[in-house]
Amino acid sequence: MLFALIKKELLALIRDVHGLAALFLMPAVFIVIMSLALKDVYSPPVKTLPYAIENRDHGPMADTLVAEWEKRHGKPQTESQNWQDRVQSGKLSYALVIEKDFSNVLVAGQTDSEIQLRLITDPGLDGGVFAANQAELVMIASEMRARALLTAARMAQAAPRGRPAAANAKATDSGVTVSAQALVEAERYATGFRPTAVQQNVPAWLVFGMFFVVASLSNLFLQERQCGALARLASLGVPVSTMIWSKALPYLVINGLQAALMLAVGVWLMPLLGGDALSLAGINWGALLLVLLAVSMSAIGLALALASLVRTQAQASALGPVVNILMAAIGGVMVPKFVMPDAMQRIAEFSPMNWGLEGMLAVLLRGSDMNGVLLPSAKLMGFATLMVVIAVLLFRRRVN
Amino acid sequence: MLAIKNLAYRYPQAEKPALADVSLNTARGQILGLLGPNGAGKTTLISHLSGMLPVQQGGISVDGQPLAVIRRNTPTRIAVAPQEYAFYPMLTVLENLDCFASAGGLGGPRKQQRMTECLAFAQLERFAQTRAERLSGGLKRRLNLAIALLPEPELILLDEPTVGVDPQSRAFLLDAVKTLARNGAAVIYTSHYMEEIEAIADRVVILDDGKVLCDGTLDELLGGGAVRVLLGVEGVSGVALSALLDSFGTVTAAGVNWLVTLAPEKNPVALLAALEQAGGRVRYAEFGRSNLEQLFMTLTHRLLRD
Repeated sequence: MLFALIKKELLALIRDVHGLAALFLMPAVFIVIMSLALKDVYSPPVKTLPYAIENRDHGPMADTLVAEWEKRHGKPQTESQNWQDRVQSGKLSYALVIEKDFSNVLVAGQTDSEIQLRLITDPGLDGGVFAANQAELVMIASEMRARALLTAARMAQAAPRGRPAAANAKATDSGVTVSAQALVEAERYATGFRPTAVQQNVPAWLVFGMFFVVASLSNLFLQERQCGALARLASLGVPVSTMIWSKALPYLVINGLQAALMLAVGVWLMPLLGGDALSLAGINWGALLLVLLAVSMSAIGLALALASLVRTQAQASALGPVVNILMAAIGGVMVPKFVMPDAMQRIAEFSPMNWGLEGMLAVLLRGSDMNGVLLPSAKLMGFATLMVVIAVLLFRRRVN
Repeated sequence: MLAIKNLAYRYPQAEKPALADVSLNTARGQILGLLGPNGAGKTTLISHLSGMLPVQQGGISVDGQPLAVIRRNTPTRIAVAPQEYAFYPMLTVLENLDCFASAGGLGGPRKQQRMTECLAFAQLERFAQTRAERLSGGLKRRLNLAIALLPEPELILLDEPTVGVDPQSRAFLLDAVKTLARNGAAVIYTSHYMEEIEAIADRVVILDDGKVLCDGTLDELLGGGAVRVLLGVEGVSGVALSALLDSFGTVTAAGVNWLVTLAPEKNPVALLAALEQAGGRVRYAEFGRSNLEQLFMTLTHRLLRD
């Protein structure tokens, strides 16, 4: 009896092609994507980040510092002059600004000097990368200062007796500070937002959550297609466009409510649980609404296309979540895009979830206005249009 | 009212056509019974009438106007009650009626009136607030019918409307269909149950392999043909009984009984007398002309449920 039941179970499994695909294909694809995406995670990607250097000093020490930084991080971007906008928009990960007195101050060993090295980063830059760059800059500057002080000390020792070591006398003091930490300052480009985990996570999971209407919408759609309700509506003369809108509009509202709920969780619930609060102060609400609308339209378009594509409930149940998770894995929701290797980063740029995420990060982390989110929003709306066209074409065939 | 002329349809990649040279007519106040085994082309024909399939060859007209024009301008003149429960299970009966009434273009007091009338027609008033998914099979069929009737269609297509319902609901549905025809609608009724078709249809079309095998009133279809006697006999050996029955006509075994198609000059009284004379006891006897099932079997050489 047990054997017969096991046989039945295996036959049922083998004949459920889509279930099998979900069981075997999805983990396999997932492993490939995640392995490629996380390939560089244990060798921090600080070396490959695009950056700019603004050297206001041009003294020997500044040139040495620039040479050392370039040795470690590659050449800076050629368009480094107007780095502010590019850092703010995330196109450059950071800018290294060397103030005009850097060489003098470093050699002089002054401890009460003003900041001479500024590391100004993309507001959305990962905290670990931010800290690593800052530490590296302090280390290089300290090493240069130590070398300079050592040279000065040797020169002082080598000088004839009775002759003061003049400017370098102070450097030989045992109380002099070798660390250049006081000269270095690292900050995120001023946007008024705190780059907390909440500020970075809410956009990612909000976009992910909004795309989950795919599963709900496609299941319901399939149900009414299978029971003949859609055919009945069509036979009553209801136009396909009306049917599509009747599905899209409620889910636009649902996506809106999702967004409101998740933002509220970030703003009010997280602090109550001891976490950081999401800050919406000073954001451009128009830009936020535009991105949310574009994400929602994309999600609904995709849902309609998938719902029109699938033939069975099993397909709908498997395909929706699989597409969502794969898009999230590729698109930088599960693995931040910056830790991915270059090739994967290029692929990520084809994921609608990534467009949504970039738009949300631009608003919530970089304080972008409407102009700043036009590109990702346009991509999302273009994707939504394409999906709806596919959905309508398939829809006509399926209803018939 | 409805005239179908030389309709033919072939699905893409299909080896043979689903419909071939189908012609039939139906009038207001008439119930047309459409019979055919699975794959005969009934659903394809209904799909044409409900506008789900385009006409490839031949023509369909309603009151002289092409069907496509009717469907484009006044689609609610033709209603379909499909075999499936074509409504929303998560909505109540009233919510379903409201949804489909609006989809059919009804609004305001007219919509309310039609909803009330259809609710009453299907005797669903007590279940108005019940979710459709919680209705019994029979009540679901009634709701399916009530939805189809909302826009007061002139032509109603009922596809197997009594599948899976209890006898009371079946009787109710058959009465309801007759009422619709009495009220002036043209009804096309497909069913696997021949006795239903015999009970309500004014005309019968038997469809098989995409072709019309016969088309006529029940009297026309069943009036001709030989008289048959179905007999259950005890007390006579099989060989002797077979020889005796053979002298009265063509004999075929029908389970434990015998079906005798009487020769034109023979009559059942003489047959029964001969059996008694041979010492047989007639345990069961059924006499009459062919019924629809026998006609169907004769025409298609198979059972309707095949």
